[in-house]
Parts: sequence; structure tokens; C-alpha cells
Amino acid sequence: MLQVLIQGFLLSGLYALIAVGFTLIFSVGRVLNLAYGAYLMIGGYAYFYMVQTLGMPKLPGFLFAIGMGALAGVLMYRILVKRLKGDQVAVEISTLILAVVIQAGIVLVFNDSSKILHPIVDGVWRIGSTTITNNILVAMVASWFILGGLLLFVKKTHVGRAMQAVSMDAKGARISGINTDRVNMMTWAISGALGAVAGVFFASYTQLNPSMWVAPLIIAVAVVIVGGIGSIVGTLIVAHIIGFMEIITTTFIAAELRGVFTMLLIIGVLVIRPQGLFGRGDL
Amino acid sequence: MPRLLLAWAAFAVIMLLLPQVVSPGTLRIIIFANFLAIFAMSWDFISGKTGYISFGHPFLIGIGAYTSAILSYRFGVPVSLSIPLAVLATMIGGTLFFLPALRIKGTYFALVTLAFMELMYQLVQVIRPDLTGGTRGISGIKTILSGAVPNFYLSFGLMFAIALALWLLSRTRIGTALDAISMNEEAVSGSGLNTTRLKLFAFMVSALVAGLGGAFYAHYLGSIAPRALFDINFVFTIIVSALIGGSSTVIGPIIGAYFMTFLLEYLRPVLPGSERYLVYGLIALVLYVYQPKGIMELLRKLGVRAGGGRTGRAGNV
Repeated sequence: MLQVLIQGFLLSGLYALIAVGFTLIFSVGRVLNLAYGAYLMIGGYAYFYMVQTLGMPKLPGFLFAIGMGALAGVLMYRILVKRLKGDQVAVEISTLILAVVIQAGIVLVFNDSSKILHPIVDGVWRIGSTTITNNILVAMVASWFILGGLLLFVKKTHVGRAMQAVSMDAKGARISGINTDRVNMMTWAISGALGAVAGVFFASYTQLNPSMWVAPLIIAVAVVIVGGIGSIVGTLIVAHIIGFMEIITTTFIAAELRGVFTMLLIIGVLVIRPQGLFGRGDL
Repeated sequence: MPRLLLAWAAFAVIMLLLPQVVSPGTLRIIIFANFLAIFAMSWDFISGKTGYISFGHPFLIGIGAYTSAILSYRFGVPVSLSIPLAVLATMIGGTLFFLPALRIKGTYFALVTLAFMELMYQLVQVIRPDLTGGTRGISGIKTILSGAVPNFYLSFGLMFAIALALWLLSRTRIGTALDAISMNEEAVSGSGLNTTRLKLFAFMVSALVAGLGGAFYAHYLGSIAPRALFDINFVFTIIVSALIGGSSTVIGPIIGAYFMTFLLEYLRPVLPGSERYLVYGLIALVLYVYQPKGIMELLRKLGVRAGGGRTGRAGNV
């Protein structure tokens, strides 16, 4: 029981971290960034390159990963999304194509064999009979701090409030003197950076390979759909629902079925309550 | 109309003479392009026509492929019976696919279909692996014909029949009504048409085509595996083919499927390594962002510029 509780919290923390950057873009830009999973891949591989290929210390590797993620976000916005002028379908399809392109790029640079990332933080911690690696513990704590920080940023700072305004009504925000283009660009950069951070932890939890972007994308989609748009707290809650559901399924039913209930949850919520459990209700 | 029919006939004749001139290797590429064209047409009939974007089309194709494969491999059902049953199963799956479209549209619908595909991917491996073959899939499925040339004729015949049927369908009043749904669903229902029934019809047609394509594809390849089938890269290839060719036309997805297949093949001598997929994806991306309406639209513009051209429904071949 204790083990389920601990593992549930650990996995949920990771899921929340994965989903939050995706929620941000979906809320503010109103577009679905199907290349979001690629941020995680870029982050993971950037860290791998700095730390395990070049042998740099971990902190610069981490910062490099964040930088690359943010850069990817900005480039994606500038080159692709802005040009498509909020045509949702076009953005979805072109980001899907882009994700496949980035996957091919990763294969080109790092070849397509899987790579193991050394844990970011070494050591294990024992609680009763269960052992947990410090690595994923740090991921969970980091995810709470990041989510808390993001919540503060969005609620308290000027830029954060501008983001909220753009997410509610872009035209209204523009009339009130907000540079929506810049706000959008910053949102894409932050989303990319968050994706890269999640990618480093996700990769150290599983492994690095060029198709690793699909699973986190599905998780992010699940969390956003069930949570509803525009709710960071909703993201946190739903990440826990999904995380615990998977751990409970794995422990008590069968490990292979862990994803099935997540998909059924997505379909069920979308059909019964399309605005999500905590969303603002505009479709 | 007669001129267009003539064009269809000319297309058929050229394709039927093709095995006389090209090598079996090239034929195998064309066979793949034919199947891709079928899948792209099926995708386009939901997504291009009615505007309900599907990111989970392999869900339908997979039902067709798996049903026929299981029936013929595990139960020894003859192909002539297993394929119609597979199509029927796909259409039932299509009804399932349709349910969310009653309530949601746009992005949300696309996501549900993606969830459907992932669900199928996981279920196939877990539920009754003694039937589905689990993660490894099924190999040794009975093939209908052997050799490149007979298979080419089969795949082309199937593709051509489907294309012709869809083209004739798109020229009826129903086809026009479906086109209108993608522009303004409220207006269509405001004109007294039952949009729910129209949409259901489009989904059923799309499922039928996907089921046919999937079942024949399984019997052509002789093996199916969940990772290759329910894969986002497969979704990418189908969608890009339909869009690059020209959405909501019949000939567009065919052109797109041939273009994408041959692009990948022609890049092979120039770029033998894995950079091929990077270039391939980039070309698709640039083409899509530059002209979202696809090659058909480019051709039409070219035609208009060259000859003053026919206007009107010329784009809707």
C-alpha cells in the first residue's frame, strides 16, 4: 500500500512536469503543439550531449538543455506558428510534421539506438521496504517547485498577467496595450524550456531514443484534456489522477493495461464533458 | 463530365500498361503507393470533406487488417469471406469513431481519434494475444496473389475502383452537402439537412475504404505488427499524402501518395543514410506551409495562368 502511494506520487510528479508546458501553450496560444514531445527529446539529448559526450558538469548541461528547449520554442513560434495565423488545424498538422522532422534530425545526429542517461542525482532512499531513487524524488520535488513557481509567475507578475489576458481574449488584450506577439513568443519559449526540463528527467527515468516523444505527448494530451484548458492546478490534479491510476493498474491488475485506462479516461471525458474537469468551458 | 471521364480512362490505360515498361522493384513501390492512396482517400473523406480531422486513422485500417488476418490465419476462413467481414467490422469501428463527433469538433475531435489509436495499440497487445499475436503481431498470413505484377494489378484495380466510386459520389448532392459541412456546419443544418446523418454517412464510407485497404494490405504484406500499424509516423504519412496532393478532392490524395512514396525512393540514391527522412519531412513541411491546399491547387493555378483556363469547379476533380 505504502509502495503504491509513494510510486503514485513520484510518477504523478513527473507527469505534471511533462504536461505543464503543453498546458501553457494550449491555454495561451489556443493551439495544440504536437511537436511538444520533441522539446522533451531535445532537452534529453542536449543534456546527454553536454554531460555524457563532452563530459561537462551536470549543471551547465542542464542549463544548456533548458536553453535549447526555449530556443526550439521560439523558433517554432517565429518560423511556423506565427505564419499560420492561428489556423488551428494547420498548426496541428504542421507541428506533427515538424515532430517527425525533429525525430529524423535526432536519428541523424545521434543514430537511432537507445541511450541510457545516468541519473541526475545519485543514490537511493529507503522508506520501509520500498526503495526509491533520489533521481525521481528530485524530479517530483522539482516538478512541485516549477509548478508553484509558474503559478506565482502567471498570477503575480506583469508578464504572467499579460499571458492570462491573451489566453482569455487576444483581441481585448491587444486593445489594452499588450504586445500579444511578444507574450506569445515568451509563452512558447517558457513552454519549450519546461519541456526540456521534463525531458531530462523523463529520459533519466526511462531512456533516450528518437521515438521517445510520442509517450509524453500522449500523457500531456491526456492531462490537458481531462484537466481542461487554462488551469495549472487542474494540470496538477489530473496528473495525479492519471499517475495513480497507472500505478494502481500496474500493481493490482496488469502492467500492460496501464495505458488503456488513461485512453478510456480521455475518450470518456471528451465525450461527456468536453471542456474538461477544471476548464473554463469555452470550446 | 465526358472530358473528365476520358482523363480517368487515360489514367487507367497508362497504369495498366506500366508493368510492360518498369521493373518489378518499381512496381513494388507503386503497389505501396496504391495502398497509401487508398488510406489517404479514406482519411480525406472524413477529414478533407467534413473537416473532422482524424489523427487516428490507423485505428480503422488496423481493425480491417487485424480482422481479416485473424479470421484467415487463426480460423482458416477463406479470403473471399474474411475481407467482407473485416470491412463490416471496420464499419462498426467507424461508428465508434463517429460517436465523439456528435459532441466535439476541431482539435478535441482530433485528440480523441489519437486516443482511439493508442487504445487500440495497447489493447491489441494485451487482449487475447493468442489471437492477435501480441507485440509481435501475426506473420504468415495467406497472400492473395504472389509476384509483383499480379499484385500491382490487384492494388491498382482496388485503388482505381475506390477512387472512381468516391469521385462519382462526390458529384452527387450528398457529396456537395458533405463539402459544405467543412465550411459551415450550422448553415448546412439550417438548410434543413440532417448533418448527423450526413456525417455518419461520411464516416461509414471512410471506414469502408479503410477496412478494404487494411484487409487487402494485410493479405499483400503477409504480416502485421502493432508497432508498424498504430504508429504516429504512419498517421503522418497518410495525412501528409492527402494534404500535399490536395485535400477534399479525389485525385489529390492519389497524387500525394505517389509523390510522397516516390520522393522517398528518389532521395535514396542521393541521400543513402538516415538524413533522407529529414529531407523528406522538411519537403513535406515546406510544401504544406507554402500551399496548404496541395499540389492540385498549384496545378490549377498553373493551368489558369497558362491558358486562361476553366474556372469554377475545376479544382474539384
